[in-house]
Amino acid sequence: MDPITFSIIRHRLFRVIDEAVITLKHVSGSAITNEGHDLMVSLYRADGSLLMGGVGFLHHLTSAAEACKAVIRRFEGDIGEGDVFLTNCPYTAALHTSDIYLVAPIHHEGRLVAWSACFVHVYDIGAMVPGGFSPESRDIFTEGFSSPGIRLVEGGTMRRDVMDTLLNMVRAPEMVALDLSSMIAANNVARERMVALIEKYGADPVDRACAALVDQSETLFRKRLRELPDGRWESRQYFDIEGETCKVLLAMTKEGDALTFDFTGSSPQSHHGINCTYWASWGGFFAPLFPLLCYDITWNDGVLRPIRMIAPEGSVVNCTRPAPVSLATVGAIQSVNNAACTCIAKMLSASESYAKEATAVWHGSHFAIFMFGLNQRRQEAIGILTETFGGAGGARTWADGIDVGGEIPNPIGRMANVETTEATFPVRYLFRRATPDTGGPGRWRGGNGIEFALVQHDSPEGGINYVVSGKGTEFSMSEGLGGGYAGAPCAYRWVHNNAAREAGRNVNPYPTSLDAMTGEAETISWGVFPLKGEDALYVRSDGGGGFGDPLEREPARVLADIEAGMVSEGVAASVYGVVTAAGAVDETATRERRKALREARLATPMAAE
Amino acid sequence: MSAGGGGRYVVATDVGGTCTDAVLFAAGEPVRLGKALSTPPDFADGVLAAVAVAADSIGLGTDALLAETALFVHGSTVVDNTLLTRSGAKTGLIATEGFEDTLTMTRGAYGRWAGLTEDGIKHPVATDRAPPLVPGARTRGVPERVDYKGAVLRPLDEDAAREAIRALVDDAGVDALAVAFLWSFYNDGHERRVGELIREIAPSVYVTLSSEIAPVPGEYERTSTAVINAYAGRIARDYVTSLQGLLRGRGYGGPLLVMQGYGGLLPADEAAGRAVGMLECGPAAGVIGSRHLGRLMEDEDIIACDMGGTTFKVGVIQGGAIDYAREPMVDRYHYVAPKIEVVSIGAGGGSIVALDPASGVPGVGPASAGARPGPVCYGLGGEEPTLTDVMLLVGYMDPGTFLGGTITLDAEAARRVFAEKIAAPLGMSAEEAAIGIYRIAAAQITDLIHEITVERGLDPRDFVLHAFGGSCGLLCGVFGAELGVKRIVVPYTASVNAAFGLLSADIVHEYSVTKTLPAPSPADEINAIYAPMLERARDQLAAEGFAGDATALDWSVDLRYGRQVHEVTTQVAGGGPMTDDGVARLVADFEALYERKFGKGSAYRAASMEMTMFRLSARGLVERPRIERAALADADPAPAHIGRREIFVEAAQGLAPADIYDFERLAPGNVVAGPAVIHTPITTIVVQAGQSGRMDAYRNVIVELD
Amino acid sequence: MSGTRISATLVIDENRAIACAACGYALGPAGGPWKDAARLDERPMQGAGGAPYSNAERVLLRRFLCPGCGALLDTECALAGDPFLTDIVKV
Repeated sequence: MDPITFSIIRHRLFRVIDEAVITLKHVSGSAITNEGHDLMVSLYRADGSLLMGGVGFLHHLTSAAEACKAVIRRFEGDIGEGDVFLTNCPYTAALHTSDIYLVAPIHHEGRLVAWSACFVHVYDIGAMVPGGFSPESRDIFTEGFSSPGIRLVEGGTMRRDVMDTLLNMVRAPEMVALDLSSMIAANNVARERMVALIEKYGADPVDRACAALVDQSETLFRKRLRELPDGRWESRQYFDIEGETCKVLLAMTKEGDALTFDFTGSSPQSHHGINCTYWASWGGFFAPLFPLLCYDITWNDGVLRPIRMIAPEGSVVNCTRPAPVSLATVGAIQSVNNAACTCIAKMLSASESYAKEATAVWHGSHFAIFMFGLNQRRQEAIGILTETFGGAGGARTWADGIDVGGEIPNPIGRMANVETTEATFPVRYLFRRATPDTGGPGRWRGGNGIEFALVQHDSPEGGINYVVSGKGTEFSMSEGLGGGYAGAPCAYRWVHNNAAREAGRNVNPYPTSLDAMTGEAETISWGVFPLKGEDALYVRSDGGGGFGDPLEREPARVLADIEAGMVSEGVAASVYGVVTAAGAVDETATRERRKALREARLATPMAAE
Repeated sequence: MSAGGGGRYVVATDVGGTCTDAVLFAAGEPVRLGKALSTPPDFADGVLAAVAVAADSIGLGTDALLAETALFVHGSTVVDNTLLTRSGAKTGLIATEGFEDTLTMTRGAYGRWAGLTEDGIKHPVATDRAPPLVPGARTRGVPERVDYKGAVLRPLDEDAAREAIRALVDDAGVDALAVAFLWSFYNDGHERRVGELIREIAPSVYVTLSSEIAPVPGEYERTSTAVINAYAGRIARDYVTSLQGLLRGRGYGGPLLVMQGYGGLLPADEAAGRAVGMLECGPAAGVIGSRHLGRLMEDEDIIACDMGGTTFKVGVIQGGAIDYAREPMVDRYHYVAPKIEVVSIGAGGGSIVALDPASGVPGVGPASAGARPGPVCYGLGGEEPTLTDVMLLVGYMDPGTFLGGTITLDAEAARRVFAEKIAAPLGMSAEEAAIGIYRIAAAQITDLIHEITVERGLDPRDFVLHAFGGSCGLLCGVFGAELGVKRIVVPYTASVNAAFGLLSADIVHEYSVTKTLPAPSPADEINAIYAPMLERARDQLAAEGFAGDATALDWSVDLRYGRQVHEVTTQVAGGGPMTDDGVARLVADFEALYERKFGKGSAYRAASMEMTMFRLSARGLVERPRIERAALADADPAPAHIGRREIFVEAAQGLAPADIYDFERLAPGNVVAGPAVIHTPITTIVVQAGQSGRMDAYRNVIVELD
Repeated sequence: MSGTRISATLVIDENRAIACAACGYALGPAGGPWKDAARLDERPMQGAGGAPYSNAERVLLRRFLCPGCGALLDTECALAGDPFLTDIVKV
């Protein structure tokens, strides 16, 4: 393939995806799609293998390849031009039922030449709880509509019977219809642009360029692996749901130009919907792998070829039907993301030349809180609190993690403005800020997470309800690296101001911290709760992991953190060994303090004891 | 205000990052151009130098010209430059208590990835936010709260506000302050009060209120806008007032009008208080200039391209209307202000050509060799092959006549470096590889134009392409043909695009009121919202000397579907005041526009519709002389023919002989047949095989595609 | 401390031993586990990095420390009794 045509076709394939993403966002118009960027569009080759992955929620790139392959198997010989297929069955390909894949064949002169696929997290899927995240479900049957593969569009014409059946099973069918329309439109655009590309350059040259693109990624990725040292790295993630503790264990082995992800030893599947199906785990480690190891390589099937996964059947990382999975994306998938991030980062930091690419874990625990109820205009409303897309950066080997800086698996998320949420939900924020001392301490500290609190405001029913599926309150899930501490865990509090009022206390209407609130703060983490009267919901997200020894952090940086309100003086002294007075570092006191802390370390027992 | 007051000349000057351009003209005289290097931070020197060059071409000194000048229009990159070089004021921020981190949190990762290229986004470990213009330590929260209806929930704590001001001014030593409270665009009482307190406590501090500079929803973007304005405010104000003083001192007695990013002019006094308004006003002026040129040539649908040394920029004009940017940024800082949409990629004459170190695949830009050391062929020490070197290797540039012969291009050096760094690793000859790189650059530009046309539901085949800038004429024959545009215009003023645009702009005041009403709502309710805006607009225009026919008032309303995030600004057909029929028409227009913008099936009719913002654009129409048309000669270009040489011809997929012409000797009416090259003193126009280039009565070159 | 890097804090020294990158203290032969040869400070994660560390009491922060200089070599979030994580780098 001549390098010029190859360069042009590669660039144009990327534009195809970009254009399809814009179409998807435009047509959908929903907040989770437009603010959270909780979506994906990618292109696949005729056999369903990944040709070019777009920037979206990255654990979907490989799962949608499985969706294509599943459709090819199921509809072999019956795949027509202009068809669009739907699958959202987690045991076939999807991560959970709310993430619907629409996959569409692309034909040129009657021949199937490629596939496009996309997903959005649909407004509702008819599970027990509005919005799809369903903490009370105990099996896949109560997690809403689920199809292993169904033809939604036939030869360019919508199958009304199928669509109507689907919409009959969900809340707010008109919103779900819009989500589906947006994906059909995105697939249409991808198809039109692919066909235009083929018409300009010819079917054979484009096919050869696509094959070369996949081979190129494999070659480059294997070369990179060979440049990294061989070894075996371990990581362990715990998470808690209502008294149950799950463990994801990962041993990543690199030998030559091959990588194995072995999850042996992970917990048996849970009866809560936090489980990963096989393809969810497979996608789960690719989400950090693409940006951490393949930042300059096209994300496609070539990257998949050197990889193997071992995931024990019946475990939390490869559950057996009908185990529930509706919370997988904020459950075990994230643990797979995090564990893979840590193992990859350890491998990178074992190399002089790649150490700068290593990072502690970013935003290890999402807090997907869905609100539902009547809004101030008396409309039925369902929506996610987009602060979870705020995230927190993990520390790099050369820089701090970014405060409220997002996450790796979804590189371009963002959160909504307070004013946007207050305009669409009957709530009022009491405060919203970066939370000091949540980023893991280290030579470079982890990024701080976010904290905020809400009360109902102008609700026609005196309040609304919210779903919390909050893991990561007991354990720190954003692991540190190279001696850096893990980030602080999440926290959810139901502040009982109504009870305080009944007990005759004056409720502070404008607290600007959890401590300043009047009512008792009850720790919650799982289930559906009311936000009524004067009660408040307080949420604190996790911080990013730190890197390196906190005693090695330059005192001036600690001082700057204190001044910016990002680190408290207490932590500066106790963890960083930095003493400040009157806006300056007390050099002598700091030296002595650090010496004392180091001596205390040398008085600890040997690990073998 | 008209161009008849003090003299017969209209002078337009545009200060860009590298050059300052001047354009001057008067009735019955040809348009004169002047160019000089920009002179940061004292940009006024460059302005006077460019004016002097233009004045010299008609045998006048600067003072004599200014004495005969009726109108002086000006655009400047001074505010962009202040941001890029971080040379603004030490700025503080006063926010609603509990929301002090709104600016620094940048809505999460948004501020980390916005403005990055695809490669940057795919590499999150290497990304960071831009350092905030106001660090957390210079932000103070003040107790106050307004709700989503604009109702005051918690009154402003004035004592706390005083204390915050004192702490920021006395302890932190700030000399500019931004004030940004939640929901202040619905109720600006608290912000205004804090503004008063600042003026009382620290009268020398520069103040920007978010509700004044950006009265729109979305506290992050509004706060960021207020901060940018406070940060650059004093510099912008001093710049405008000192330029005004300087011109007065040199004998100019007319008004100074300053270009805004939305493509309209503001009188200097008003512009001086709105630093953010001046951001990106150069590219905006370019689009306005294109629209004006289009009107002269009776084209309403235009793709306006500008390719200089570092970037390729493109804006779109459809039906004579211009699109505005959705999420404008300056150097990775977000702001909200109406700004003409101009998208760009890092592909210009100075863009470096390189092989990807990992894959060996060739690419162009975004790194640039700039003007120094510049391309290898300039012989100024450039060691990296650039697109300009490629243009030389494919035969498009004449080593001897570049920039009117002021620089002799070193073709041998270009060939040697290009062969060694690019062609040899690719296993190609220097010419073959150069042709390949040329095609990659053309394809990237095609893709970019595709992005702002096809991806927005516009068909490039309905558009005329305007090719501005020093490098655009080299490529437009190829990418224009691939896009299938109607024809290509390489304007006479191609090299002073923005300054020419200034000449054609009007005074435009933008007003808006944010309020949510169901759509449709009674016309009376809407008219009531407009009444105070109309009064303000009329007073303002009257004070500037505009009344009656010299004014135009355009109404437009932002509408959206109930549960969707996309708002579409919809013109009120026929203007105000509204009738109930007019409201129905507005809603119908919105629905049609929505589907056109966002695609078929995107309109969500099951939900209610809402009007969210009411906008008034008040224009004072500036009178100016007409550009004269030259008499047309016959088609034969023989007198301008200066030779033949081999150039890259797309249709031949290789080098082929072509005719070479001198622009200066072409006469209006001449037609050259492709393949051909036309050398102008500043740029080069390549006419591909099967295309023809005709010089029109304004000395524009019209390239007709086959 | 010179040697071949195997992590952010450890190198292989000229004697093919895993050593602290800061002081050179040897922690065992290359290619093997090293944590047993380090000092271990195991404490509740709760409060370890400040007030927001509201972890459950049973969650532990393990800090593996260089017996030579006290450098913090690695950390783990663990439950009591869970084995140390073992990283092996072959160089």
